[in-house]
Amino acid sequence: MGRFLTPAKIGLLALVELYVDELVPTSAIIPVLSFITSSLLDREPTVLAPSCSSSPQSRWTNAERRVSLVTSINDFESLLAAYPVVVGLPGRKLWDIFLEKLWDVNSLHQLHDFFDRQSHNLVMPSEQLRRLGLTEAELQGIRISRNSPFGTFIRRCQLEFTRLRFEDSVELWKDFVSYRQPTLGHRQRRSPSMGRMSFDYVLDAGEQADWDVEAVNVLASITYGDSLTSNSSSSLPVSTDDVEFLLEFQIDKMQTHGNRVPLDVRVRFQRLLQDSRVIPTLSHYLSFLDAWKSGDHPTAFDYLHRYFDYTMQSRERLYYQYALMNLAIIQADFGSHKDALETMLETVSTARENQDMPCLNFALNWLFQFGRAHPRLIRDLESDSLLGSGKESLAYLRAKAKETGMWPLWSSVLLSEAKLGFCDGESVASCVEMLVRSSQLIVTRNLKNLYGAQLTMAMALWERLGLAHLSAVESEIFLRCHIGHTSFDDELKVTARVAMHLTERGKYDQALKMVEALDENALRSWKASQYWYKYRGIIKLTRDLRHDNLDAAEQLMSQLLQSKQDDMEPDVAFVINSLHVDYLMRRGDLQAAFSKVEDMLDALDDGKRDIALYVHLMLLKAQLFDKAGRPQRGFTLAMRAASTAWRARLIPTLWQASGALASILSSLGEFDAAAQLLTAVLPRSLEYESAAMSGQLYSHLADANMGLAGKAPPNSARRTEHLTRAASAVEKAFDSYSAIEDTKKQCEMMAKKATIMKVAGDKALAADYAAAYVSLRKSAAALATC
Amino acid sequence: MSLNEHDLSQLRAALQDAVVKCSERCLYQSAKWAAELLDAIPATSHDAPQLNDPGADHMPAVFSPNPDPDEARLEAQEFSKYLLAKSFFDCREFDRCAAVFLPDSILSGIIEPNQDAPGGTPNNKGNTKAGTVPLGAPSSSLPVMSQKSLFLALYAKFMSGEKRKDEDSEMIMGPQDLGTVVNKQLLPVSRVLNRWFEERTTEDGEVVGSQGWLEYLYGMVLAKEKNEEKAMDYFIRSVHVFPMNWGCWLEMTSLISRIEDLNRISRHLPQNIVSYIFHVHTSLELHQQGPGLANSLDQLLGIFPSSSFLLTCNALLSYHAKDLVAAEQLFSRLLSLHPHRLDSLDHYSNILYVMEYRPKLAFLAHLCSTIDKFRPESCIVIGNYYSLLSMHEKAVQYFRRALTLDRTCLSAWTLMGHEFVELKNTHAAIESYRRAVDVNRRDYRAWYGLGQTYEVLEMHTYSLWYYKKAAGLRPWDAKMWVAVGSCLQRMGRNQEAIKALKRALLADAYYEGGDSFDSGDILGNRGPTGHMDPEVLFQIATMYNDLGNLGEAKAYMELCVAQEEGDLVDPSGGLGGSVAVHKDSPAGSDDGNGEERERTMREGTGVTASTSRARMWLARYAMDSGDYATANRLATELTQDGFDVEEAKALVREARSRMHEEGQLPSP
Repeated sequence: MGRFLTPAKIGLLALVELYVDELVPTSAIIPVLSFITSSLLDREPTVLAPSCSSSPQSRWTNAERRVSLVTSINDFESLLAAYPVVVGLPGRKLWDIFLEKLWDVNSLHQLHDFFDRQSHNLVMPSEQLRRLGLTEAELQGIRISRNSPFGTFIRRCQLEFTRLRFEDSVELWKDFVSYRQPTLGHRQRRSPSMGRMSFDYVLDAGEQADWDVEAVNVLASITYGDSLTSNSSSSLPVSTDDVEFLLEFQIDKMQTHGNRVPLDVRVRFQRLLQDSRVIPTLSHYLSFLDAWKSGDHPTAFDYLHRYFDYTMQSRERLYYQYALMNLAIIQADFGSHKDALETMLETVSTARENQDMPCLNFALNWLFQFGRAHPRLIRDLESDSLLGSGKESLAYLRAKAKETGMWPLWSSVLLSEAKLGFCDGESVASCVEMLVRSSQLIVTRNLKNLYGAQLTMAMALWERLGLAHLSAVESEIFLRCHIGHTSFDDELKVTARVAMHLTERGKYDQALKMVEALDENALRSWKASQYWYKYRGIIKLTRDLRHDNLDAAEQLMSQLLQSKQDDMEPDVAFVINSLHVDYLMRRGDLQAAFSKVEDMLDALDDGKRDIALYVHLMLLKAQLFDKAGRPQRGFTLAMRAASTAWRARLIPTLWQASGALASILSSLGEFDAAAQLLTAVLPRSLEYESAAMSGQLYSHLADANMGLAGKAPPNSARRTEHLTRAASAVEKAFDSYSAIEDTKKQCEMMAKKATIMKVAGDKALAADYAAAYVSLRKSAAALATC
Repeated sequence: MSLNEHDLSQLRAALQDAVVKCSERCLYQSAKWAAELLDAIPATSHDAPQLNDPGADHMPAVFSPNPDPDEARLEAQEFSKYLLAKSFFDCREFDRCAAVFLPDSILSGIIEPNQDAPGGTPNNKGNTKAGTVPLGAPSSSLPVMSQKSLFLALYAKFMSGEKRKDEDSEMIMGPQDLGTVVNKQLLPVSRVLNRWFEERTTEDGEVVGSQGWLEYLYGMVLAKEKNEEKAMDYFIRSVHVFPMNWGCWLEMTSLISRIEDLNRISRHLPQNIVSYIFHVHTSLELHQQGPGLANSLDQLLGIFPSSSFLLTCNALLSYHAKDLVAAEQLFSRLLSLHPHRLDSLDHYSNILYVMEYRPKLAFLAHLCSTIDKFRPESCIVIGNYYSLLSMHEKAVQYFRRALTLDRTCLSAWTLMGHEFVELKNTHAAIESYRRAVDVNRRDYRAWYGLGQTYEVLEMHTYSLWYYKKAAGLRPWDAKMWVAVGSCLQRMGRNQEAIKALKRALLADAYYEGGDSFDSGDILGNRGPTGHMDPEVLFQIATMYNDLGNLGEAKAYMELCVAQEEGDLVDPSGGLGGSVAVHKDSPAGSDDGNGEERERTMREGTGVTASTSRARMWLARYAMDSGDYATANRLATELTQDGFDVEEAKALVREARSRMHEEGQLPSP
């Protein structure tokens, strides 16, 4: 295997020569040039043709094209066969001229000659011009400038050819002959005089002159081996340069998009590697990444160590911290958080020692994020004030990032700060300021791959402010515009968020469809697929719970609860836990639900967790008290939740807290206050587009109105008025619950409706509603069993 | 020399015996040579019934029986030890092999007391020295063993020394590589052999019961010790006893550096077919050629029609006769017959190089590198190819590799010298030429290269010495004489220079006119000799001019100008493309070479720089002698030639005005 040169590169050189000789017709110039360019530069075709957006499928085309160009000459044919020639017989195609050029190289010497004459295609250096007494204008025809991409390519090819040892040039020549051999039939049709030994001038001439057939056969088999006689080429003409390009390409793809190499690309690449005598160490890194992504951690460890063992000698210990960093990340992924933390701390100290700023910054940032996710582990550390508190380290990082010009880090630190602000329930305005600053950074520095983080943060902001619509818009923007250059992780998370949003509105099928439409190849990555499975489970679980299909829900629940807490993202874990509580409540096991909530609160108590979760749990507890028929015991909880939510501007939670308060007020007989509170809250809560929440608020309102009606004298207009209000509120609640298909609540509302009608004296309607209730129960039962 | 069937089967049996005997003694190359020759004998009708003979033993003889009963008995006794030793040798464990028969203690016992051992009889020597030998060595006399085992043991010792010598040598042309590393085992081996021969020699100088192999080994050792007379003596003795050992003949070839030596020695040689082959081969090594040689070769080819060795000789003969086209064809045929054979393909590459058959040379290099890239021949072929591509660094690299593989590879040293000349590294060039000459004193190309390099350094005395050496080795090569002549001219020795150059013109004629060379005066038969090099003619003319001999000068100048139209001078000259100029001296190092070659390909030379200058001289001469018409004519011709047009125009003007003055020309 050569270092750089392959038969395909010879083909490209011939193509360049055709262009220089002005044999390429005008219509073909653009395709030919862009073909060469895309083969020479490590650019994706999308950059050259910005109109087509990079879909996940097209990401790998560049690699595939490179492989197919290396393995067969057909790519040239499909490019060139379509164009006619400029001069020559009509009916001839550019492909014919190209082949003629290739077949003119009919001996090893001609190959030397071919490389030698490539310098004629370049602009002459000025010295040489002066020596020849010419000016540049006097030279006719196209000349390629020495520093252009084509020029550097030609010069590199020449240099590499000169560097080849003789046996390597022979190897290249043999590869070239077998690369070209498939076109023999085509050539013979054009010029029938071509014999069977026409690939080598000496053999051909010898056969026609004094050598007999047997001798020529023997000579050919000695010099060219079996590659010409047997059709299956045993080895592919691939160069280290190509392999390295493919490796870098794959690693780059895996690192930026976070997904694994598609199977067919991988298989073809393995075939290429088989034939290469030198396996670049980078391929170990590729295997490491692949194993890591596939969740095969032992193999990943093995390959990582192998990679660093092989590279250590060449790069000295300069890159030791990177080894540690990778190790820490993979340990964290493996769930070995303690080891990961220690390794990362060592990374920090090594990076400090080696004064490797980028590495240090990255490590600190990682540590900070890690600390947010696993506060228990980091706590001991912080008490030693090794790193200082989160805020301080963030401020330090921000300053450093600005100093060293690490824009991605700077932006991500700003986002972290915003997130920290949210979690601690600090001023929304200052958080928004951080967001805007990061956004400005992203736009001015064109950090496209950070859009995911930025927009995710914006979505969270709008959601906290109870503006579900704006959040949906942000996610839509992300999914439509920025998917191409962000990692798959972001895509997955945003999709999950959108799906959850749809679930909130009862569009389960749509949500599931959306989740299932994700790129299958990307889901081969273990972590992503876990996340994906969890979210699908969550959506299905929610649907089952709402359908009151508790058996199915139990099954799903037990599956979801099986994975250890540490393996999951904290937010997923929280969602699953709350669903568990919901499940227990629906089962009627309030005791268990209560202890579960208590456990969750305990878990939250130990660190600086998101304040929203805290409030959410308090509300759950209050709800439990409500369920248990002792709403008053939840009063303080509800009050605290409301005030906290207000302070931290957790608007949806605030509405929920108000609902809880109102129900407590109702239970205390303060119907008027409850009704007033709810009437104030309801319009804004509708903005959040959560049907469950609005249904609950409406049902509370109906309760309050019923209470008011009960207080009013019988048969008074006030009573009728309150009854009507209650009925309409129940109607609204019913609608909301219908939207999310929550059958139990639907029945409850229907029953309430019938009762209200009965109280209001409308017997016929009451009977109707009762009948509707019965049919609802039936359909609910049907839903619950399906 | 046609042989009947009986002779043929005898020859076949002898060759078979030789192959077995040589391989028994681990003389692989000799065995290979004999086997190749054996295979080249065409099958006769006589063979077929022999195969069907029920009594015949179909077992091939792996070990040949020894005709001497004593030896046969010894061999039978030592058979298992012999097998052990041979397998060690085959695994290249030479010291271990030697120790099977000659443990170090015995060997040192034999060697050390040798100083105070005046040639006594074998018996008392064994007794007297017994006390002085170190412990463990029972006797200082040679242990009793068969000649075969002794040969194998000593040969292994010798090979181990050679191997160690190669290992001790520094990188080729490196700072420590002075070529002074010697084979340290030569001394013990020669002591032992000396003793052996002393013990066996009878009063009248005959060695009793010797079978020739030990003589061969002793000769080799002596040759390495530069004791060439004695070595040759032993070689001759060896081939008398056992003529089928080609290695021995080769050693003799390398000791012969002049054709006279060959003729002197051939009287002492046995008269058999191998001796005949030896004669042909050595003559070729000495760059001889001629119909006699061709005739001998044809006869040999009659016996061995498909022998690759003889076909190679045939090709080399054509090469020496400067018939490159025929040589190329012969080699090409050889290649197609024996595609896996690498031997002497380096000569083929030289031929292709001179003929500039680039694709074919590239193909040859490809073939060689595929078959075995670590053979000196392959490296030389590749080096030659790179040299043809003007990639001299790479060429040097490959020649160096060839030398690392085989330090005695003569042509690699010479060719590397050529490359160094190209690279303007004169010191390295001189060193490599010197090494080439040290390896083989018959290589005129190295001598010539040395001369040329010194000429570049403007050390003409040295240069002259080396050119003379080269010319002595190749008396009928014009190039050598031209070089001698030019060198003399530069030193101001014009008379001698003229002589040398005239000799060069004669040499040219010698090759063109076949070998029926008429040694008459060059001026006497200048007409029919046909083409002569205008360069040389011009040189001679200028020297005559310098000597003041204007008549001679004019004659040569005219001759020079006449070369422009070669076909007019000698229409039946037969100087077609088939006669190519020899060019195995430094490639294109003097630019004249290339031009010269191209010119000779045509019928006449056409206008060249030297003919123009000659014409100019003639014009001026005519001017001075008042022959304005001639001057005018010559100068007008000159204006059309393109060389020095301005000067020619001035001459035309002057001539015309003079003619005008004298009224020979009507006023314009």
